[in-house]
Amino acid sequence: MEIDFLVTVLLSSLSSAAILLIAAMGLAVVFGLMGVINLAHSEFLMMGAYAALTITKAGVPYLLSIPIAVAITMAIGAVVEILIISRLYGRLFDTMLATWGLSMVLLQLAVLLFGTATPSINLPQFNISIGDYQLAGYPLILIGVAVIMLILIYLLMTKTTYGMQARASIQEPEMAQAIGIESSRVNTFTFALGCGLAGFAGAVLLPIIPATPSMGMAFAVKSFLAVVVAGPVALTGTALTAIGLGGGASITASLLTSVAGEVFFFIITAVLLWRYPMGISAKWRRKL
Amino acid sequence: MSFSKKIHQSSGLIFPAVAVIMALALSTIMDPYLAFIATSWVIFGLLGLSLDIVWGRGGFLSLGQTAFYGLGGYFGSVVAINLAPITGNSLIWALPAGAIFGAIAAGLLGYIIFYARMGALQSTILSYTFTLLLWSVTQSFKMNIGEASISGDSGLSNIPGIILGFDPQAQTLNPNTSFAVVVIISAIIYFITRWLMRSHFGRIIDCIRIDHEKTELLGYDVRKFKLANFVFSGAVAGLAGALFALWSNFLNPSIFSVQEALLIPIYVLVGGLGTLAGPFVGALVIGALSFFLGTEAGGQTTLILGIILIILVLFFKNGLLGTLNALWQKYLPDPNEATRNSGAVQIDANVLQHILKDAEKQAGPAKSLVSTSLFKQFGGIIPVNKVSRNFQPGQPYSLIGPNGAGKSSFLKTCIGMYLPEEGHIYLGDVEISQMRIFDRVKNGMGVKNQKPQVFGELTVINNLWTAAFSQTRSNAKALEISHKILTMLGLSAHANVQASALSHGQQQWLDIGVVLCLAPRVVLLDEPAAGMTNEETRELSLLIRTLARHTTVVVVEHDMEFVRTLEGHVTVLHQGEVFAEGDIQTLRADDRVLDIYLGRRNHV
Amino acid sequence: MKTYILKRIALSLMIFFAGSSYAQVKIGAIYDITGDLNIFGLQQINGLNLAVEDINAKGGVLGEKIKVVTYDTQSALNKYTQFAKTAVLRDGLDAIFAGLTSSSREAMRPIFRRANMPYFYSTIYEGGACDKQTFITGPTASQQLKPLIQWAIKKYGPKIYIMAPDYNFGTISASWINEYAKQFGGEVVGEDFLALTVTDYSPTIQKIQRSKPDFVVALPVGPSQVGFIEQFAAAGLKENTPIVSSNYSTGNEQVLLSPSAGKGIIASHVYFMSLNTPENKAFLTRWFDKYGKTDAISPEAVTVWNAVHLWAKAVEKAGTTDHTAVIKALESGDLHFTGPNGLVTMEAGSHHTRQNVYIAEGNDHYGFNIIKTFPNAAPNYESQVCDLIANPKLAKHFTPSTK
Repeated sequence: MEIDFLVTVLLSSLSSAAILLIAAMGLAVVFGLMGVINLAHSEFLMMGAYAALTITKAGVPYLLSIPIAVAITMAIGAVVEILIISRLYGRLFDTMLATWGLSMVLLQLAVLLFGTATPSINLPQFNISIGDYQLAGYPLILIGVAVIMLILIYLLMTKTTYGMQARASIQEPEMAQAIGIESSRVNTFTFALGCGLAGFAGAVLLPIIPATPSMGMAFAVKSFLAVVVAGPVALTGTALTAIGLGGGASITASLLTSVAGEVFFFIITAVLLWRYPMGISAKWRRKL
Repeated sequence: MSFSKKIHQSSGLIFPAVAVIMALALSTIMDPYLAFIATSWVIFGLLGLSLDIVWGRGGFLSLGQTAFYGLGGYFGSVVAINLAPITGNSLIWALPAGAIFGAIAAGLLGYIIFYARMGALQSTILSYTFTLLLWSVTQSFKMNIGEASISGDSGLSNIPGIILGFDPQAQTLNPNTSFAVVVIISAIIYFITRWLMRSHFGRIIDCIRIDHEKTELLGYDVRKFKLANFVFSGAVAGLAGALFALWSNFLNPSIFSVQEALLIPIYVLVGGLGTLAGPFVGALVIGALSFFLGTEAGGQTTLILGIILIILVLFFKNGLLGTLNALWQKYLPDPNEATRNSGAVQIDANVLQHILKDAEKQAGPAKSLVSTSLFKQFGGIIPVNKVSRNFQPGQPYSLIGPNGAGKSSFLKTCIGMYLPEEGHIYLGDVEISQMRIFDRVKNGMGVKNQKPQVFGELTVINNLWTAAFSQTRSNAKALEISHKILTMLGLSAHANVQASALSHGQQQWLDIGVVLCLAPRVVLLDEPAAGMTNEETRELSLLIRTLARHTTVVVVEHDMEFVRTLEGHVTVLHQGEVFAEGDIQTLRADDRVLDIYLGRRNHV
Repeated sequence: MKTYILKRIALSLMIFFAGSSYAQVKIGAIYDITGDLNIFGLQQINGLNLAVEDINAKGGVLGEKIKVVTYDTQSALNKYTQFAKTAVLRDGLDAIFAGLTSSSREAMRPIFRRANMPYFYSTIYEGGACDKQTFITGPTASQQLKPLIQWAIKKYGPKIYIMAPDYNFGTISASWINEYAKQFGGEVVGEDFLALTVTDYSPTIQKIQRSKPDFVVALPVGPSQVGFIEQFAAAGLKENTPIVSSNYSTGNEQVLLSPSAGKGIIASHVYFMSLNTPENKAFLTRWFDKYGKTDAISPEAVTVWNAVHLWAKAVEKAGTTDHTAVIKALESGDLHFTGPNGLVTMEAGSHHTRQNVYIAEGNDHYGFNIIKTFPNAAPNYESQVCDLIANPKLAKHFTPSTK
């Protein structure tokens, strides 16, 4: 097999993994730090994309629209946490059902607000050549974005007061209470952060994924699987599963057929869950 | 017993029976289209019931129910398409075929989930993955089986309707009669399920949901019970799928879709989780609602359904039937009332002697517990380092040591919660080093953990019965044993009270009684005196000393004073190793032991 | 007494569920108005309501105003069966307009057959549905692919890469492309079928580069079509390897796609908003008046519009709304209507429509420039296998033997 083909396959598979990781990160943070599975994650991703699209259309540069989209989704996330999630702590499956209801509501609201087909915009694109093959440049940039995202979240969790409080709240909840950490405020922020990360994903994926009300759904299922297979050490674990599952599926699809790639994803998920029944990171000693 | 209370106790029998009779009466006069639509709601209720069996009773939220439902539907249809033309009647082919196929699929998936001991969330997600995988691959799955042709997303058509007559010329039933038939079939499945869930099997399934670990410590192979329950639910789902296929005359892969999978938990939640009848109520309410909204809501159906779902989860956690039940119970006398403020437990040593002798007759002489060079490692930490011990009946053995000395790890390795890397454990003549927990219990091990582990929703007597039944496998014998132990504990007055109504101390005693019901030949107790009053501690000390005369007893304890009253052999563990041993007086005089307890330098 | 109470209960239930049943002419619409398929469903229902409004404004049919009963299937399959039965058993409709996916059509078709109710299906689909009561105003796969493949081989060269969704529309379309390639001197150099859950198109893009086709036929629908083209264009491949499609624009993909990526995409379809005919101009004015100015009117909206008008013509021709008479009028062979997309003729035997197929090129403002018209394109395959005049009892879904 030609070397240039292999290099392109590897590079683009890495970018596929990065895209999955970006889409799953918010979910991983919320699951890792609060033990909550947010089934409305895909709708927060969609809201991020619509926010960025609307703001860019209003004349704001695309790069600037991303932080605004993050802020908007964070604010909505905070409201959702206070109104719904905070009443359901410790009830994992109830939270899942409530957020599923929320996702139905948000989806329909988006249809009402934006219609089913919102005109998209030109966003900067470039490409690179490797031998006989051409690759889109933007998905390659996303590899870097994913790495920077991971580093920033790691720093946020280890170097800031919030991060320490958040980790204390999950590792030693009673102790955290005793030393005066207001876990409800920490949780509100954590959930908002997760929603903001979903919004970020929607905004940065906008150049390659069109904004539609149901756009998040395609990512949601695989993101959930990646996060759950990752297990309790959500950040590092999800980074690994995103590369393994997302990248592996992409390579399989390149070498065989698209259907084989999908089947690879689901089968490997099942095998991993079988071998690591509590997630691959269940026995790790690190906590992030 | 008041009339209201009597009705309440058999409400799961009376109300569904009344509903069935009403439905049958209505079926003769209702509008055909309403009969047709309502038939699908009953079928969805049946599917909901299959989830309630695994989720409400078994405690596992399976998102694979629609997979079994779809597989059962497809398989049942294929069989019915080919064979129904010969006999006329389509039910005798479709229903058993659907149920069997659903059961097989659930068996395969359940085997992976339960035998790998998957976490709750992971189990749910794996079942979801299974459904998604089916959804994805069936889109282009094409196959001709006799007269039936499965053609990808175009689905499988020409499925016969519900036909009762045994005659190749027999006609499909009209909507009203079909409705009546589906109601009767569902009622039969419901009553079978209710009977099963109230049987011994159902009680153990309840125990597993309430406390998985404790159930295994009572000697039950929880994996087997969970799998059996899941297979049963798969059969119900598969049968519902076959009925659905006969109802709609058409199936396609969207039966495996995400939306379908998530709709089933909603039926169950709306009706009331764990109520068995609830899913039928839920399916009726949601079905009628989305039908009504679909024609009247002007395109806002999903918006309204989403809001309803959120409100339900937030404010009506127990669903419609659960909320009704809670209201009703407010007006019933509280059976737990008398127990709330009752006095302390007193052990009758004579009765205890008697019980222990009986146990010896039943389970044979006491067994020793021997460990040789037992070694357990977690990464760089070695909590159990070449520990060799020989515990014999006659006197209680205590394990002491400062925090992190490896006492609990050693105990957990003996129980089977940890499996050792090296060394051996023998229970009597049997090597148990790599044995599962429940097998060790069957071989005569009894374990009491630090916190009281009782099944709060079960009555006191049923807590004891569950343990006794595990060893005797006989209802009569189990009842006899549990009543004896109930008397010994002085809890007879509270036999039919829920265990959760007992005080903390009473629950500790009940838990000890539960362990005694197992007629254990070796008893392991983890900090049994924790949280007990002085008076209770004295009683406990007496009990342990009596117990040690008939069985091998090992106690892990913090409380030196309590260890002293046991008057037995003491082992001091330190950093995973045996540090010192002897009787308590000798050890108390040993400076090295004081050093490690006080954290003095030269030995730490 | 007891039966009296039961009857009262049953009666009140019936009143609860039954709408008014007094209007003279009633048609039903069963579409996905909510849920994730409403990208298409809303277009269909809007097209239908607009057509009814148009007919009613001109005096209705047989002098009666048409009333529409709408059912929202919420993008869930079991609701199709349910509402189809409701339409048949409860609402006593004169005709039914329903369905998007092939599975929804296959679920409902037998129900309308048994009720002998004229049923209109108006989506682009894989072709081959053959049933006395079913009338199809959307194009079939072969109907649009034949001119497209012929045109593209001539224009770009013989080597074809097929990228299609892994369900019937995709696999059957692929088999047609293979056949037309043979017929017009082309060659299929690669095929990739995409599972429903695919979000990652880079593997396909590399395989396309590897097999060096002269052009790519891209057949996914909606956002996955857009995602693919966006990434294909971003890799800079669009300039050298053109993309052609027989279903692009069905879900208004040209609007969702960024303008620069959309420029130059070749689509073949029975309707484009930029058609310059008086009928289309009138249609657009009506649409904009009712629903507001938009760039997104998909062919589905127009094929539904045509279906309603064809049915109204058939009723007028029959002089009654009686089902059998209307079906007879529909299959008279000369029933036709000039819609926004030109002349549409209902074929007697196949119950499919002859209509114009246009080849258009995407521009950089969410629209198309028409570059070639194939007037009165026939549904060849369906005409060949399905003759409901000769075999009125035929009820089948024909599929070419796929490889």
